[in-house]
Amino acid sequence: MEVMALTRLIHHVQRVALGARTTFADGELVVSTDEAEGIMAHPALASVRLTWVSPGESARIVKVLDAVEPRTKGPGGAGIFPGFVGPARTQGEGETHVLRGAAVVAAGFLPRAQEALVDLSGPAAALSPLGATHNLVVEFTPAPDAGWEHVDAALRAGSLRLAARLAEAALDAEPDEIEELPSPSPIRGDRPRIGAVTNLQTQGLFKDVFVYGRSFGSSLPTLLDPGELDDGAVVSGQFGHPALKNPTYMHQNHPVVNELRRRHGHDLDFAGLVICPEPVNQAAKELVSAFAAKVCAAAGFDAALVTKEGGGNADADMALKMDALADLGIEAVGLYAEMAGIDGTGPSIVVAPEKATAMVSTGNYDHRLQLPTMDRALGGDEFALVHAPATSAFEVPTAVVYCALSPLGWGRVTARAG
Amino acid sequence: MANIVHYINQFFAGVGGEDSAGSGPTLVMGPVGPGRRLAELLGPEHEIVATVWCGDDVASGIVPAIIDLIRSVDVDGGVGSDVDGGVGGGVDLVAAGPAFTSGRYGLACARVAAAAHDAGWLAVASMHEDNPGLDEAGATPVVASGEVARRMAPSLDRLAGAVTKLLRHEPLTAADGRIGKLARLTVMADARAAERAVDLALVRLAGDHTATEIPLPRFDQVTPAAPVEDLTTAMVALVTEGGLVPDDNPGALESARATRWLRYPIGNLDALMAGEWRSIHGGFSTAYANDDPHRILPLDVGRQLVADGAVGSLFAEYFVTTGNGTSVANARRFGIEWAADLRHSGARAAILTAT
Amino acid sequence: MLLCNLISIAERVGAPRIVPTRGIPYPTGDPSLTPEAEKAWRRRLLDRALEALATTVHQPTVFEVPEEARA
Repeated sequence: MEVMALTRLIHHVQRVALGARTTFADGELVVSTDEAEGIMAHPALASVRLTWVSPGESARIVKVLDAVEPRTKGPGGAGIFPGFVGPARTQGEGETHVLRGAAVVAAGFLPRAQEALVDLSGPAAALSPLGATHNLVVEFTPAPDAGWEHVDAALRAGSLRLAARLAEAALDAEPDEIEELPSPSPIRGDRPRIGAVTNLQTQGLFKDVFVYGRSFGSSLPTLLDPGELDDGAVVSGQFGHPALKNPTYMHQNHPVVNELRRRHGHDLDFAGLVICPEPVNQAAKELVSAFAAKVCAAAGFDAALVTKEGGGNADADMALKMDALADLGIEAVGLYAEMAGIDGTGPSIVVAPEKATAMVSTGNYDHRLQLPTMDRALGGDEFALVHAPATSAFEVPTAVVYCALSPLGWGRVTARAG
Repeated sequence: MANIVHYINQFFAGVGGEDSAGSGPTLVMGPVGPGRRLAELLGPEHEIVATVWCGDDVASGIVPAIIDLIRSVDVDGGVGSDVDGGVGGGVDLVAAGPAFTSGRYGLACARVAAAAHDAGWLAVASMHEDNPGLDEAGATPVVASGEVARRMAPSLDRLAGAVTKLLRHEPLTAADGRIGKLARLTVMADARAAERAVDLALVRLAGDHTATEIPLPRFDQVTPAAPVEDLTTAMVALVTEGGLVPDDNPGALESARATRWLRYPIGNLDALMAGEWRSIHGGFSTAYANDDPHRILPLDVGRQLVADGAVGSLFAEYFVTTGNGTSVANARRFGIEWAADLRHSGARAAILTAT
Repeated sequence: MLLCNLISIAERVGAPRIVPTRGIPYPTGDPSLTPEAEKAWRRRLLDRALEALATTVHQPTVFEVPEEARA
């Protein structure tokens, strides 16, 4: 049985500009500054500044917060980003317009957000998905008396509305590509049934992930239709570990889900997607892990690709979950970034599974990169990690490069014994 | 011709056994003890220009002094030529051991080789795989020796082979007897991680139960300390990796990937007031800790324990770092420094809170 | 001795004496309690920690705080 749930209408963004009107034609996205500022306006924000930066430029974005791919399902969003832009109603069907090659990127100081950077050229550009996108950077000045949690919420809601509005400009354009996306098959066939288990780092303010507009922190694992990811049901408010975070952009383009879709009906059957919170205590981690394994068993998984978000304590969620899956006879493969030290000789995983030992490496968190000077920087004047001007040359651990060790499997960086 | 400096301990230098284990580092020109056989094995193309020996009790703690001695060969010795045949070069390679299973000697060999590597020389150590010093070599190569000194001859054969190969600028592999950690090197894979993960799942489902990109990590064996005999007279220290610091973070403790630890006085305090202390840890939501710092550092109850006579006293400072993406090498160093400092200060136990 | 919540990690890295706590962000606290009850819980944690320190162990050993009926 082949269920076609969602169609992505892909518009490739090749050129960008700011202008008087928001338009999309012949691959050029023009954004009205006035309109965009109006969309971002919020009592918690005194002002916002909008700037495009494009691949290949001598430019750096620091203090990178969330990133969103422009998408819409119709005028006014028509249900996109449910719980934020649209009402909290289930999505994942019909057609969704995608401005591929563009992103709305909030950048600036938030307390407890770990310093993160994106380079648009040089060696770090290839390590981040945003190194290859035209980025509409939203810088901001908080209102004088605004609480930081309101600033955070205003940026999130505004960025999502702005992303929906940009995609709306392409509603009448002929798509460059049309992607018919299969839904996971509930029927067992001849092929192995492989699914995704995606942990979301849900640890409270500034370290939270939202599903249908609500914090997922106190929830139990659940099946989610992959099309719901495409329509923005999962939104990130999580600003820890830049290289190990999963911004909204990555949930919209979930690499493991896309790979399972690509191979569905060929060498495997896509069995489903289970999302799980990463709670902050051992007992809850054990409950969530056991529960996730039961959901996977009920959905008929033969194997699960388990992904994490965050640093060391998220490894505990991984280990517990992979072993819980193994206990139910489900083969688990974990995607792990390694924390092997600068010279690569440290124990690379904080806590490894005991039974389910299949792991894919997304690279060494501590590996050092030499970054060159840039002509301009957005998001701030200083790169806080090294207290240097944001445009200067410095050495950084891969850990600070946005999504460079993507737990969702975006990158090609890996580590090997040598 | 290549110039080699050989590091050995006091015993193999022929100076003495345990009675001489406290001797400081000494430089001798030319090969000494096992170095003579090593020089023969290396042949005329290579020369052991000097030997540095040091007592086992002190060597691992004074590695910089040992390196300085080797450097003095480099500068003053001015012996011969460098690998490329030019005149006036200095030391090309530092070889340490074989240390067999001797723990102190192995630790010294590993640290000397690692420091020599950091100083820019080629370096290799030789010891048995079970030597507890092995991990200290870091990414510097170590080749296997026999278990005991009776296995000197084959151990030197292997060390000589490793030296020769390193001087040809070829990497050592398991075939050369290389043991210990192999560094995890960052490379670009042909396919994205998501695609490789699906491939790995299919390989596993097809019956391969061991395939993986990451071997299971090997952690240190920790030997538990003996219990404290009488806590009612003991000084107890409070320490934490929870990133709790004075509100303005005067020591600039990092919120992640800490490279340092700090100490702050609490001897005159009975409690930690909200607003005066703050956790800068980047790995968890710190609102709870900032509302009541005792959730990270239990000073209030610590004072109760002293008042009730359950412990003798509290150490007058607490130690703090941030355990968030902190490398094991740094964390191990913090632990060693904390333990040494506390022991020196007379503390008998430490209560470590971890987030 | 070690007070922490993630005892699976603590055991794996070989910490000899471990007392489990109630949450990652508050090893010696429990924000769900009143201040008085929280301090009492902290005292019980530390009492257990002292018992651990006075006990011979040969491998990673978890010293649970005995559960009490909550008021």
